Amino acid sequence: MTDSEVQIDPDDHTFRGYRRADGRVGVRNVVAVVPVSVTASAVAERLADDAAEWVRATPHQMPLDPPEGARDQIETVLEGIGANPNVAGALYVSLGTERIEADALADGVAETGKPVETLTIREEGGTAAALDAGADAVDRLADEAREARREDADASELVVAMECGGSDATSGIAANPAVGNACDRLVEAGGTGVISETPEFIGAEHILADRCTTEEVRERLLDAVDRRERMAGLMGVDFRGAQPSPGNQKGGLTTIEEKSLGAIAKGGTTPLQGVISYGHRLPLGGGFVVMDSPGYDVESVSGKVAGGAQVVVFTTGRGSTTGNPIAPVIKVTGNPNTYQRMTDNMDVDASRVLSGESVDAVGADLYRRILSVAGGELTAAERHRMEEFAINDIPPKELAALGDPT
Amino acid sequence: MKGITIDDAAIVMAEADTVATALDDLETGREFDLAGYGFAVGEHTVTLTEQVEFGHKFALEPIAEGELIRKYDEVVGEATRDIAAGEWVHTHNVESTRARPGDESDGSDDGESAETDAPAAATEGER
Amino acid sequence: MTPELESADAERGIAQGFEGYARESRGPGVRNTVVVLPSVICSGVVAESIADAVPEATVTPHDHGCGQIGADKDQTRRTLLNVSENPNVAGVVVVGLGCETLDSEALAADLSLPVRQTAIQTAGGTDEAIEEGIAAAEELVADAREQGSHREQFDLSDLTLGVTVSDLADSTVESVTPAVGALIRRVVDAGGRVVVGGLGPLVPHADSADDLTADAETADALRDALERHRDEAPPTPLRRSAGDRDPTDVSLLWDREPLVDVLAYGEKADHDAGVAVVESMGGFEETSTALTAAGAQVVVHGTADGIPTGHPVVPVLKVTGDPDTAAALADDIDVDAPSASPDELVEGVLATADGQETAAEGHGLTSFAISRAGPSL
Repeated sequence: MTDSEVQIDPDDHTFRGYRRADGRVGVRNVVAVVPVSVTASAVAERLADDAAEWVRATPHQMPLDPPEGARDQIETVLEGIGANPNVAGALYVSLGTERIEADALADGVAETGKPVETLTIREEGGTAAALDAGADAVDRLADEAREARREDADASELVVAMECGGSDATSGIAANPAVGNACDRLVEAGGTGVISETPEFIGAEHILADRCTTEEVRERLLDAVDRRERMAGLMGVDFRGAQPSPGNQKGGLTTIEEKSLGAIAKGGTTPLQGVISYGHRLPLGGGFVVMDSPGYDVESVSGKVAGGAQVVVFTTGRGSTTGNPIAPVIKVTGNPNTYQRMTDNMDVDASRVLSGESVDAVGADLYRRILSVAGGELTAAERHRMEEFAINDIPPKELAALGDPT
Repeated sequence: MKGITIDDAAIVMAEADTVATALDDLETGREFDLAGYGFAVGEHTVTLTEQVEFGHKFALEPIAEGELIRKYDEVVGEATRDIAAGEWVHTHNVESTRARPGDESDGSDDGESAETDAPAAATEGER
Repeated sequence: MTPELESADAERGIAQGFEGYARESRGPGVRNTVVVLPSVICSGVVAESIADAVPEATVTPHDHGCGQIGADKDQTRRTLLNVSENPNVAGVVVVGLGCETLDSEALAADLSLPVRQTAIQTAGGTDEAIEEGIAAAEELVADAREQGSHREQFDLSDLTLGVTVSDLADSTVESVTPAVGALIRRVVDAGGRVVVGGLGPLVPHADSADDLTADAETADALRDALERHRDEAPPTPLRRSAGDRDPTDVSLLWDREPLVDVLAYGEKADHDAGVAVVESMGGFEETSTALTAAGAQVVVHGTADGIPTGHPVVPVLKVTGDPDTAAALADDIDVDAPSASPDELVEGVLATADGQETAAEGHGLTSFAISRAGPSL
């Protein structure tokens, strides 16, 4: 459906989604196969590959025995994925000697009322046996998932993650303002809009700081930015070496301030209500909030989804094609060349702003698109099975110097 | 963040801005008449002194070395040398104004150090 | 090998060598793989789709290539280059996105083996890149098949053996260490090379660098490497228990052979013979990649946990000294250390080099990870 065919009814904030036992609404009905450590990632991936529709794995590279200070963050993300309302049922796969216990994760997820199982490679008797047993577990979970039906829901039950990647000058001029407009509409309808990528606040944090509803939120925001800067400093590196990236610069972005000012536009104009740690639970009806994360897209998106975001809106000037295994990612580009060249990997053409259409009109279209995707419309990333996933790891030097981030 | 388009070929994000962003690949000599837009920089005509690629910026007025560059009605950088009106504005004549994390502690390199090899890498193998 | 030993071995029916793939300007390969190599996490799915469609191609998906700078970026780049140049690799298809810090075209240009390249943004989308990639991979596979149809005879002196032990469990120390030590002794005596992955156990012993190495230069390099990691987060169990042990006990893993080189993570080995160590601090998945980049054609992995995954580029032999693990993961383990003789170990390595499938190659699940030298930005 092209944008011009979408009926823009500004008063319609409804969609139909899967209402879970804990009351949260999912926009997809996925069986998630989650490895507890890198040693179980390959088994998890194979199980998802071999299974029927809508079984998705979240492979990652976290070790068998992460250092204590890094462990909480990993556990939070692993549990959060299973708890995300897009997930109908979850299978946690482990080798069996992980420091993080699959049972503990499963118990946490089970509190949401959804079916959860665990699979331990050592207990099954090795890889081949685990693949067999895992296939059975996945079948059971998929059978149960198939019972779910969409019901009436509305935007106030949505947590939408906004992200930008492969940015160029059009990101701040067209795509992000359009997303910000959609974010404002979402917040007005009672939903939650979350942005992250903390390094991309540098140079624009004063604007966000001014919007914070309380002093505490303001402090948390500035602390988060400060910590990310100090992290780069630990490497003896000037942050400006990484931001803007060569791709950003080729696309016209000159300084980190310019990039950040353009980036925060995706958060719209409403008050900043909270700062949430990486991977932690995002509030329903929370208005505009920020999650602390690296600028690295795949980790940033994964963190927001672990926090409960059901839909991701992802702006890209250069043409990032990444998606996520359990949440639909809507690709928005403000670059007409990118939209033309990579139409099949893009969802929304925001370059219309460059040719004179109002940010408001494009924002309204995008908002409608979010609701449509929430109701089941597949995004380009979903059609192409683009499903990237990674967990932000806290490296040893940073742990030693800066301590636990939460 | 509305932005004001000039001639469908460039956009100025706020009236107080000192740079415009190209919406097309612009040729040397291309003129932009600023009359009637209410820009802080004035009502003059800006003539491009060089090519400016789509998405890149050009100066709307002369910017002296050390002066701040404004876009989105905010500071986006500082001129590292004198910039003429109509000149391409990018990493070769602008640097970030953000304090560097390594500054106070170990007196590490200035902005154009080997660590910021990202710009260098940008030129090697860039298409 | 002396004529006497040769005939003695022949009498005992012990393999004297292996048939391998001769490579120009690289050591012989023991596999003939076409690798689809994504330069960044964002092109991983496309790379996987290409490899799925071309049966003889393998893929090395990883989580990096984006938002990296300085030493961290260099490390990832160096690793990808040297993994590609591992002797087991017949050809590479480099797959990029287009806006990442690790430019795929530049990467491909730096490779000296048969290589093709595609990038999502240049090709005009993921479908287009997959199509281009499949065509490229099929070309390389056809070439590899032709060249690989005649193998040549090689022996232990042509081998670079990669060794990594993931833990210092009692069972590992009691039976895996001496077993691997004996194996390494045989390889070194035959003139082969060994690269040991994992500096963890050595970190508490920077003071013993002189005793552990063959020359002053290597001693300095080792000391520097160990100091770099001394102040990192609370030591992992691997390092913690290593601190309680005598440093010479740690070196029993390589039969106390003086180390001749210290490789950076992702660096290619260039010593002629003997044992080098590579600066890898991560687990099996990251260390096996470092060994692959170093040029190991076969990897021996000691594991009490029984980490079962193999590697897309090198065959991995799983060795355990833990009876529970040997029982629980019988089909995933190749060698039960307590009951394996040095001869059997050497045989196992040669057989693997000759083409025999390892347990991990049997189930086909692999892992590929690259160590980071800094945080995500």
